[in-house]
Amino acid sequence: MESKFHEELDAIKGKVLDMGVLARQMLKESMVSLSTLDVKVADDVLAKKDKIMEMDETIEHRCIQAISLYQPMAVDVRSIAAYLKLTTYITRIGRYGKDIANVTKELADKPHNRKLASLNQMAKIVDDVIGTVLKAFEEVKEIDADALSEQDDNVDCIRFSIFRECLTYMMEDSKNITRCAHYIMVARYLERCADHACKMAEKINYMITGKRIEIR
Amino acid sequence: MTRKNKTKMNIHNLNLWYDKSQALYDITVPVLENKVTAIIGPSGCGKSTLIRCLNRMNDIIGKCRIEGSVMMDDIDIYGKKTDVVEVRKKVGMVFQKPNPFPKSIYENIAYGCRIAGVRSKKKLDEIVEHSLKEAFLWEEVADRLDESAMGLSGGQQQRLCIARALAIEPDVILMDEPCSALDPIATAKIEDLIRILVKNYTVVIVTHNMQQAARVSDYTAYMYLGKLIEYGKTKQIFENPNEESTENYITGRFG
Repeated sequence: MESKFHEELDAIKGKVLDMGVLARQMLKESMVSLSTLDVKVADDVLAKKDKIMEMDETIEHRCIQAISLYQPMAVDVRSIAAYLKLTTYITRIGRYGKDIANVTKELADKPHNRKLASLNQMAKIVDDVIGTVLKAFEEVKEIDADALSEQDDNVDCIRFSIFRECLTYMMEDSKNITRCAHYIMVARYLERCADHACKMAEKINYMITGKRIEIR
Repeated sequence: MTRKNKTKMNIHNLNLWYDKSQALYDITVPVLENKVTAIIGPSGCGKSTLIRCLNRMNDIIGKCRIEGSVMMDDIDIYGKKTDVVEVRKKVGMVFQKPNPFPKSIYENIAYGCRIAGVRSKKKLDEIVEHSLKEAFLWEEVADRLDESAMGLSGGQQQRLCIARALAIEPDVILMDEPCSALDPIATAKIEDLIRILVKNYTVVIVTHNMQQAARVSDYTAYMYLGKLIEYGKTKQIFENPNEESTENYITGRFG
């Protein structure tokens, strides 16, 4: 017989997962909106912002309630602690999606001055990382920290090369400055999303094993 | 002065039978000095039996047979030459239900000391005041020491029992479910008291309340079906136990 508490714990976990899926979708769609300069898609992303905030609040409330009602121990308390941390990281990811959607709206009046190949490649890796983390959370499986760290390194490298590339364009022609500055910001947002996903992985592994790891 | 993590009592390969049924199996666990050791586990796991072995309370149960050893410092608790009265002076006990003597508050504490040979009224007064202060009861009862102890509230009675145990200056205090008959406020007082007592005494507590074990103890022993399943620092046991059985018990996924 599943206790009432563990039913509630499973329900909260489901909510966290839903929230993760939503934030991942926001980020992914924001990048679609940016590469295609599709304002409608950007607006769809912006419309999801409130939903993320609402889920964050609901989950926090239910976690606090579960702690005060059941005084959880061991894996249960580690799970609730993880849920509270995960929702913070997930919220951040969703909000970066929102930020990128806003960039789309800023830039939509004119086509890109070149293809956004690197940014899209970066977004693909970040999406993979988030996907890996959410899947591990859903299946309660430990995450391979080394593999994740390698992907995170790739993301950092691409961000740096985007930065250098954009600087060149900006120096070539000052008319590029506004656009390229936005590209640099977007690269930065994506890089932060990968960092947040790595922090999520740390919390998930701690939740499962009780051991703390650091993904560099 | 106390050294850090000195072993006060050592339970070694302890087996116990009530008649033909074995209640404890090969228990080996230390009790560290100036620390609170909590014993947890489901009903019937042997935790009360184990704590009663520490001051030979099982002696009074017929057909109870014990193998293995319990040492306190250099004293073999079950040694042939060991005087059980001396053992119980060194190892005081507080029970689940407060059980003051039907006498005055003063007499509850002075009684044991008089039996132990203290005759001087001045000395007895000192002991009574000191013990009541140590049990944080003094301020509540100082002006009515001659009144019956039975008129105290349950929480006060329990603190009186603790004061009574302290009066004979034990080294170790055993507490078998000391708060299970008390309300949350009285429970919190006893828990605070335990944390203060442990500076001068060694405490072993049996409790069904996991949160209580987590709050008051430094070390926790988890028992199941008469066996010691896991012993370790309380923080580790409750945050990340090594054994699945412990995990299942403390998270309520038991059975």
